[in-house]
Amino acid sequence: MRLTQILLSKIGKYSKDFSNLPDRYINRAMEQVEWKNPKGIQYKANTVLKRRKFKMGMHRPWTAQFREDNAPGVSHDKIWVEPIRKWSFFRGDRVEVLVGKDKGKQGIVKQIFEERNWVTVEGLNCVLEKMGERKDFAGVYLQIEKPLLVTNQVALVDPSDLEATPFEWRFTEDGEEVRVSTRTGRIIPMPPSAEETIDYKTKSTYKEQPKDTRADDVVQITFEPQLKTFEMDIMDNMGIKEDRIPPKSYWY
Amino acid sequence: MSCVNLFFKRGISTSCARYGKRNFRKFPLFNKRGSKIFKEQRKDPNYDLPHDKRGVRDIGYNDQDGKFVLIPEKVPEIIVPDLKDFPLKPYVSYRTPDVIQSEFTAQDLFNVVYAPKIAKDFQEEKLNDDGSPVEPSPEELMTSEEARIKAEQTGTDLFTQGC
Repeated sequence: MRLTQILLSKIGKYSKDFSNLPDRYINRAMEQVEWKNPKGIQYKANTVLKRRKFKMGMHRPWTAQFREDNAPGVSHDKIWVEPIRKWSFFRGDRVEVLVGKDKGKQGIVKQIFEERNWVTVEGLNCVLEKMGERKDFAGVYLQIEKPLLVTNQVALVDPSDLEATPFEWRFTEDGEEVRVSTRTGRIIPMPPSAEETIDYKTKSTYKEQPKDTRADDVVQITFEPQLKTFEMDIMDNMGIKEDRIPPKSYWY
Repeated sequence: MSCVNLFFKRGISTSCARYGKRNFRKFPLFNKRGSKIFKEQRKDPNYDLPHDKRGVRDIGYNDQDGKFVLIPEKVPEIIVPDLKDFPLKPYVSYRTPDVIQSEFTAQDLFNVVYAPKIAKDFQEEKLNDDGSPVEPSPEELMTSEEARIKAEQTGTDLFTQGC
């Protein structure tokens, strides 16, 4: 029970891929520590009272709305999520919507919420939400895509005939694992947008900024092994000479 | 004979708490925390819990008069080289391919520093019968006494704790 709790409370890889944020930051932003043991060798380490179960919704875990939804004292009903062994829907995939108003229409996957088995399809399964209504202001309408369950509300589209298909993960002769449509046998390729993040469209087209170390400089190996510690090397470079001999000490 | 009325009074003994330690578990009373009497008691050099330095290392000491004596060697000197035209920057570009470097072990260091000379000496037959070199390099000349002295001088990382 404990193991599944830990596994289910982690943020899915594809849910946080697009944001390009380090895991350390996400955990720190999500954390709600009620009480922690003080620092000191006399205290038991890692004794924390914190929230373990979070309500995963449409808001990302590092946002303010997520914090509001999971404020201390706020509890929610258990949300049942079918565990999927291998996540198969990536950003930029062409999918067909199987339920709702936009049944039968095809669109491109925009957002992934792995913890709830949701994907958002661009422009489909939308609702109009009114925001900012005040006495003198009528408010604006926003078209927001509602999420769809990956298991039974959305299907991958076969590129050969542009129809919804069930699919399987199979290995090619090169050893690469790919999605294959079981109806036609056509490989459903990985979309190029899967690599996209908020910082770049693809890694190779990223524009290097002034504070970035250039790729060529990072890959260069400039280390020359010497029989010196780091401090000794600095001393030699700076011309700092150490002539003092420490007196002999004894351990009994 | 008049009867004696016995009044039973139950009181709370406060002497144990008064004489006992104040700084108990999960309620650390360091530096400016605690009452005036408690802080005065703590000034005694033989007090159980020493003054909490909060991780800062002293740069001197207080002599008998109470005056602070500075030790210049204890004052940290931060050496920062000039970073003009330095190619490495704080962030790394996303374009870099994954660099996989194996661990640099003591054996690798030995192979770089000592191994070529030993191999060369062996081929040119410049080794004595017991295996020691005829023309030793400065690294090979170092005795254990010299190594111990070097290990205790400035620049070593062997005996430093909690940096």
